[in-house]
Amino acid sequence: MENAGAARAGGSDAMKFEVHLQSAALGSKKRVVELEQAASGYRVRIDGEPVNADAVQIAPNTISVLLDGQAFEVHVTPSMDGTIKLQSGPHEFTAELRDPRAWQGKKHGAAEAEGRQHILAPMPGKVIRLLVNAGDDVEAGQGLIVVEAMKMQNEIRSPKAGKVERLQVKEGQAVNAGEVLCVVA
Amino acid sequence: MRVTAESSMFQKILIANRGEIAVRVLRACREMGIRTVGVFSEVDRHSLHVRLADEAYAIGPAASRESYLRIDKLMDVAKKTGCDAVHPGYGFLAENPALPRACNDARITFIGPTSEAMEAMGSKTAGKQLARRSDVPTVPGTDDPIENPEEAQSLARTMGYPILLKAIAGGGGKGMRVVPNDAAFPAAWRDAASEAMNAFGDPRVFLEKYLIGPRHIEIQVLADGHGRVVSLGERECSVQRRHQKVIEEAPSPAVTPELRRKMGEAAVRLARAGGYVNAGTVEFLVDAALNFYFLEVNTRLQVEHPVTEQVTGLDLVKLQIAIAAGHRLPFAWESITPRGHAMEVRLYAEDPDNNFFPSPGTILARHAPTGPGIRLDEGVYEGYTVPMEYDPLLSKLIAWGNSREETIARLRRALDEYTITGIRTNVSLFRRILTEPEFLRGEIHTKWLDELLARPRPPAVAPRAGTEEAAVIAAALWHIEQSGKGSNDQSPAEAPSRWKMQGRREQVDRTP
Repeated sequence: MENAGAARAGGSDAMKFEVHLQSAALGSKKRVVELEQAASGYRVRIDGEPVNADAVQIAPNTISVLLDGQAFEVHVTPSMDGTIKLQSGPHEFTAELRDPRAWQGKKHGAAEAEGRQHILAPMPGKVIRLLVNAGDDVEAGQGLIVVEAMKMQNEIRSPKAGKVERLQVKEGQAVNAGEVLCVVA
Repeated sequence: MRVTAESSMFQKILIANRGEIAVRVLRACREMGIRTVGVFSEVDRHSLHVRLADEAYAIGPAASRESYLRIDKLMDVAKKTGCDAVHPGYGFLAENPALPRACNDARITFIGPTSEAMEAMGSKTAGKQLARRSDVPTVPGTDDPIENPEEAQSLARTMGYPILLKAIAGGGGKGMRVVPNDAAFPAAWRDAASEAMNAFGDPRVFLEKYLIGPRHIEIQVLADGHGRVVSLGERECSVQRRHQKVIEEAPSPAVTPELRRKMGEAAVRLARAGGYVNAGTVEFLVDAALNFYFLEVNTRLQVEHPVTEQVTGLDLVKLQIAIAAGHRLPFAWESITPRGHAMEVRLYAEDPDNNFFPSPGTILARHAPTGPGIRLDEGVYEGYTVPMEYDPLLSKLIAWGNSREETIARLRRALDEYTITGIRTNVSLFRRILTEPEFLRGEIHTKWLDELLARPRPPAVAPRAGTEEAAVIAAALWHIEQSGKGSNDQSPAEAPSRWKMQGRREQVDRTP
């Protein structure tokens, strides 16, 4: 999160963030939140409008928010891709914070739906069986390789229809998480 | 059963297991004033059971075949530390007759049945033969393992599909496959045998006629070494995902007092016939007409034993220990009946949004539910890294109340209080099940959950007003606190583990 430095808007003490929020229930949204240090806690504005909010971090990664008296507890989990996960009760959001003044236009691993696909081992394990040969035509969803991990056999399936360009592993081989198992083009 | 200082009792017990069950056994020992010895593999040095044991010893690499399944190493630790008994927990060696034999040779008490009773009842085919001899109804199928796949397939054709392939040494759904038709037979056979080989070191499988829509109901029995065998009533375990139990409850919403008595008597008859001693479970399938068929005997403590404890008020682990020490069961227990209702959910480190793929990793934050009618049997803590090498069971959340309705309400309330971040868990699965009208009416069978999960998901419930605003405020505040600009400076969180990334990979799927 190198773009994390907060912008001090207009010389005031407000720290301003653009929060890109995603969830199953809401879809995708952008909200602008400003926090201004006050005598006790922060003064909060959302999309320019003042809100009556009392927010405190009660434990690392756990934040309690009283919003007009309505109580919320939000658990924050940072991800490796720079986004954070926000959980409030059964609801979950993925958020990306941007400082509008340090805009970097950072893109996040947009999965190429088309084209050559590297099939990766989801976790360390052992290749139990190869279900295809190099050169085979495969359907989207067709099983490619069976990997055993955590005592369960997991079938790795093709994300697209295409041809197995090459197989990078042999039966019985131990694989690490993220290792390329095969390539489908 | 009173355990007093005058009665003979063990001084020190080796717990040949890990995770929540090792913790459960440790706690019973501590309450009884018995010292405990834990064991751990290379990746379990930080496990809760190691932290809580009086003594703990390393027994080798992560792979269970080189650590938790090594009888020689376990016996070395038991002898070296002067243990007078071994508790196997469940899983690992709990149903392997070689462990009680090794204990016997070393003059150490095994807390469980004898190796002979394990052999006579534990294997599915032997158990079935014993059931027939004891006049307990069974599901049609082959009694013996079939060695030859062609022979097995022709038997399957004669019996008629669907057919169930099951590992002789099986348990927990491993080495088990439903074969819907003849074409699917060879692949299913191969998968079942290789999974059985990997999980239990024994590739042999047998066939069984597959009943449609049955309930899984099991009877908990206790047998002392003086000929008394009692039934502690049933547990309903029909909510299963691919043969893995995920919710268990007692009593069963389907069982009448009459059926409870009949099933209890059948289970007691079977235990007697097998010369069974200690805690054991007789599993049955129950059809819509309330006919029950013997399924198998689990010659050990079950994962779901807490629901029986909550409705009987008994501590099964302490009773196991007392029985092993030669104590008698009281006569009055021959007519024990459940009181109230109890229900357990099994929380796993797995991602329900990604086909339940295992999601090990580091627990960043954890808040445990408390309050009336709530029990948490847990093997994890904040900051703990769930290893990828073992079953990803994190904890069992158990609720009890006066009625099934109150119990479900408590469980829902407790799930809302329970927070684990940093790894994915299957909490959302239970939030869904515990609001399904069929589940609330108790109309469940062993395929019910798989069918539910195959249906389109209900639309996501819109959060209450303000949730989104609270989330963005929290995100901003968290960021300020992280970067050390906040008023309440906290140390930054650890970098997230690569596991979370792996857990999200979309192209991954488990074998259906």
